Amino acid sequence: MPEINIANSAGRDALVALESVRSTLKVRWLDEQGRQVESARLLKGAVDRDLDALLARYGELPSVGKALLEGDPEVDLENTGRLLRHTSRVYVDGDRQIVHKVHFWEIVRNPDGSQRERRPRRMLDPNLAGEQPLRWSGVYIRRDQACRKFVFSSKVQLRHTNGLTYDFLYGMAKELERNDCLMLLGAGAKSKEPLILRRGGSPYRGFLEGRTQGDTYSLVLHFSDLELKAPQETPPPEAAP
Amino acid sequence: MAKPLVFQFGDCDWPFTMNKVDRSRLYGYKEVEALDDHGRRCELATLTADGRTVVGRGGTAFGQIAPDGTWRDKGQLRPIDVDGNEIQSVPSSFGAPIKLFDVATVDEYLKHNIRLVYQMSREGDPADGDLAAELARGTIFKFPYSYRGGLEADAGFLLQGDDGNTFLAVGNPTKVEFIGLREMAVLEEEGEFDETELMDFDMI
Repeated sequence: MPEINIANSAGRDALVALESVRSTLKVRWLDEQGRQVESARLLKGAVDRDLDALLARYGELPSVGKALLEGDPEVDLENTGRLLRHTSRVYVDGDRQIVHKVHFWEIVRNPDGSQRERRPRRMLDPNLAGEQPLRWSGVYIRRDQACRKFVFSSKVQLRHTNGLTYDFLYGMAKELERNDCLMLLGAGAKSKEPLILRRGGSPYRGFLEGRTQGDTYSLVLHFSDLELKAPQETPPPEAAP
Repeated sequence: MAKPLVFQFGDCDWPFTMNKVDRSRLYGYKEVEALDDHGRRCELATLTADGRTVVGRGGTAFGQIAPDGTWRDKGQLRPIDVDGNEIQSVPSSFGAPIKLFDVATVDEYLKHNIRLVYQMSREGDPADGDLAAELARGTIFKFPYSYRGGLEADAGFLLQGDDGNTFLAVGNPTKVEFIGLREMAVLEEEGEFDETELMDFDMI
């Protein structure tokens, strides 16, 4: 179960559990006999039978067409229609050979598609449960205002692991409820870094919401990577000064 | 031209054109390039369990298989939920005007994961009209939304952003709950340490 190391407004910190709150529609598909069917992934054709391979073998498209009419060079009787299980992802080069040593680069582009930067790919490390707890930032935003400024694409719920952390989280929820606000939550020494849940994951801005109901609490961490605003119109290249 | 999404508020129909809002249009985007030692571009492919068959992009398909291993066409199947009730499909939201009368609280809106956002625009003065006035007051309208129809409608919210523009937010509800003292998270326990395992050299 994922965890989060978080501090309250008094500077006390604790490691508590994080829980997903997604709910998905569970669908089963039945055939005409009332039997449940299963989804399966099937092989249509391997790389040695695709268009590039046929072009390498026959030379030109008209020759490929002629070969397709005279026979079935695109069908591999041993493999076509095979169920695919336990597969691996690999990289192949232009000759359709597996490449064992791959170098990854990131190309950062502007909204208009122009290149801004090219750099070696960076895999960001998770920072929710590190040695340094996420500090109580004290930066609040009203809930109704937050709805109109940010898009909350996912959320997780904090849950206690023992009696002490129950009191800890209940107190946080009560304080946030009193302010009726979301509190911005950041990582790093100055609480300004975005939150990263897993290695290589996307960075998000975090907003903590707290509610209580009797002796129960609800502490939800909302994630956002998008502001609710209209994109600026990009002028066509010939109109730019 | 794309079909407008039409809302019905009061006695009027309000057609809006939709413009998707995503990170790439606001901030830019990243592409990942894979190169071999010679600087040649590589592509992602699938290696099957036999360790030698490589399947490129477009080389796989999904199908539905019955318990006896026979193929089933998706059109011949019927969907049911976990309780065994048949799921009725929902129509596309573009088929008829969407009646705006249900209003969502901020609490309810925040309980949803929003996965799509569209800027909504219409002809004429966007600040003109009863609907614009209602949205400017902070009302968040909620309605079932489905782009092309399907098994389940998403939750649609029509609201005004901080910049004064009108947006459609599409999302799914979550199962946020209130937690009591006894409902603590159960962390995985480590198994008991068996010293004899350390001396086991039969590691085949």
